[in-house]
Amino acid sequence: MDIIKTENIVKDYILGKIKVRALNGIDLQIQKGEFVAIMGPSGSGKSTLMHILGCLDSPTDGTYYLDDVLVSKMPKASLAAVRNRKIGFVFQSFNLLPHLNILKNVELPLMYGGMSKRKRTAKAKEVLQNVGLGDRLKHKPGELSGGQRQRVAIARAIVNEPSILLADEPTGNLDSQSGGDILEIFTELHSQGNTVIIVTHDQAIASRAERIIKIKDGKIVDGNSDS
Amino acid sequence: MAIPIAESLKLGFADIMMRKVRSIVTVIGIILGVMCIMVVLAIVNGMNKSTMSWMEERGGLNKIEVEQNWFYDFSKGGDPSFSLKEIRYLQSLIPEAEAFNPTVQEWEAVINKGDIRYSTSLRGVMPDFVKVEQWDIAKGRFIKDLDIDQHSNVIVIGSTVAKEFFGNNDPLGQIISVGNQQFIVVGVMAERFMQAQGAQLGMGENALEYLNRRCFIPISTMISKVNPGSKISSIDIRAKSPEEAKELRRKVENIVLNLKNGKHLFQVTSAKEQLDTMQANAKIFEAIFVLIAVISLLVGGIVIMNIMLASIRERTREIGVRIAVGARRRDIFIQFLVQTVLITALGGILGILLGFAILDKVGSYLQIKVLASVQMIWVALLVSIGVGLLFGVGPAVRAARLDPVIALREE
Repeated sequence: MDIIKTENIVKDYILGKIKVRALNGIDLQIQKGEFVAIMGPSGSGKSTLMHILGCLDSPTDGTYYLDDVLVSKMPKASLAAVRNRKIGFVFQSFNLLPHLNILKNVELPLMYGGMSKRKRTAKAKEVLQNVGLGDRLKHKPGELSGGQRQRVAIARAIVNEPSILLADEPTGNLDSQSGGDILEIFTELHSQGNTVIIVTHDQAIASRAERIIKIKDGKIVDGNSDS
Repeated sequence: MAIPIAESLKLGFADIMMRKVRSIVTVIGIILGVMCIMVVLAIVNGMNKSTMSWMEERGGLNKIEVEQNWFYDFSKGGDPSFSLKEIRYLQSLIPEAEAFNPTVQEWEAVINKGDIRYSTSLRGVMPDFVKVEQWDIAKGRFIKDLDIDQHSNVIVIGSTVAKEFFGNNDPLGQIISVGNQQFIVVGVMAERFMQAQGAQLGMGENALEYLNRRCFIPISTMISKVNPGSKISSIDIRAKSPEEAKELRRKVENIVLNLKNGKHLFQVTSAKEQLDTMQANAKIFEAIFVLIAVISLLVGGIVIMNIMLASIRERTREIGVRIAVGARRRDIFIQFLVQTVLITALGGILGILLGFAILDKVGSYLQIKVLASVQMIWVALLVSIGVGLLFGVGPAVRAARLDPVIALREE
């Protein structure tokens, strides 16, 4: 079953007076439970693709089905719910809220999902324990190492049990040791049945995935299941 | 899946506590503005109360006065006085009046009992005097119609006069002289008191003490015996209500004008209309101060708006993250609006407290009565919340409209 299915996705940006085509007809299928790496040089459009797959941005043209729901034509207000329920983001620079302790950081998606305070605290604790940070709940992100911070970010991404996990260069800001640990977690999450998509330009990381999709100049050049 | 307001409040409160100094600096304008509003409203409120009680003490809002017109040009001829006959005629034309009392006054009458001499303002009046002035008798009785008809030598004295002449002895039945006439004391007026304020304080604690020094005799006795040739030039009339007083004033004015062949020898005023004029003047004063307060609140609001805009710029990435994990634009909007309103409301509360703290000092410094009311607290609180809403919407909209892709890229 395709968890992600796009047809002819086009994305144009207006830079001053020039129209820049970032994505030029992306046809992509990713199956439920797959571990996929999206690779490409900078400027290839892989970040744009990730934003569209993550419903942070809408395509200029084309269709995008996430979990059999046509999200490319959805109003922005509904996209917020899609991001909340179906997508977990992991960023290169962690993007934790510095003034909240890590428990509150992980609770954030649950709060916007409307879960009660008691339930979400219990749930967030559980997930943080699973990533090995059960003893740091009251710490602020600034008091943790990079690897620990990224584990908090992963906990936040999976706390809502999303359909897909989107990671953008998740090891880019980490040393090789903690980077390896993080990749271990992704592999583990994949083996538990999660759909994991990692965007990277690092061949070594991409090789951990089951499939590598290569993008260049806004087009898929290799790795799509149909091609 | 909206996040509840309680959650937004908690978020907003946490933000404020995290940036305490900034929050305080942000709301100084609001604090001062609200404080200013509190003090001004209290002063105006106090002034209105003073004016009202002054009016009440002088006979209330139902009172109408007919007095000599000091601006009349006497080269046009005319006699600014009424005969007793004219008075009776005038009285018969206004049966709707509740009370009617003409007065003949002698400002510097000397009364004496044996060796004790006392200079007083002596008034020839009619029985309705007590109704017009709403002034009770403390002892004995007041002048009666019979006294008027018979030109009786009876006198009713003020409380201070009673003390000066008789100390603790009973004044009733005692004889005192006015000029060559002997009078029997039949009554003592109740003491009048009103706390003096501001400039009045120069005349003593009791702003109404001059009333306690007056004495009253039948108007007929005054004209025929005590001061022959003295004339009636002032009448006090009491209407049934302040509204009727306005009507009655116009009617009396016309009657008097006709009586005096169209010459403006007298002016007729009603307490209600005087009060209206005074309040209209007070309104101007009030408006100026409220304007100043509003300007300081607006300035405070603009400062808040700028600080909120700066704070949102600083927190762009945070907003991006919140959107990425599922916050809707509405959630972001509410988060920042609630925070702004919370800041201004807290500023408002501080302003109210500070206003209360300085109220007494302002009052004693200016020697005026200041009066706080619960209503003022609501006004101040609503105004500060209003400023928060007004100046919080802009920044909140800007935060809610951020493009998450760009926001997440922000360093």
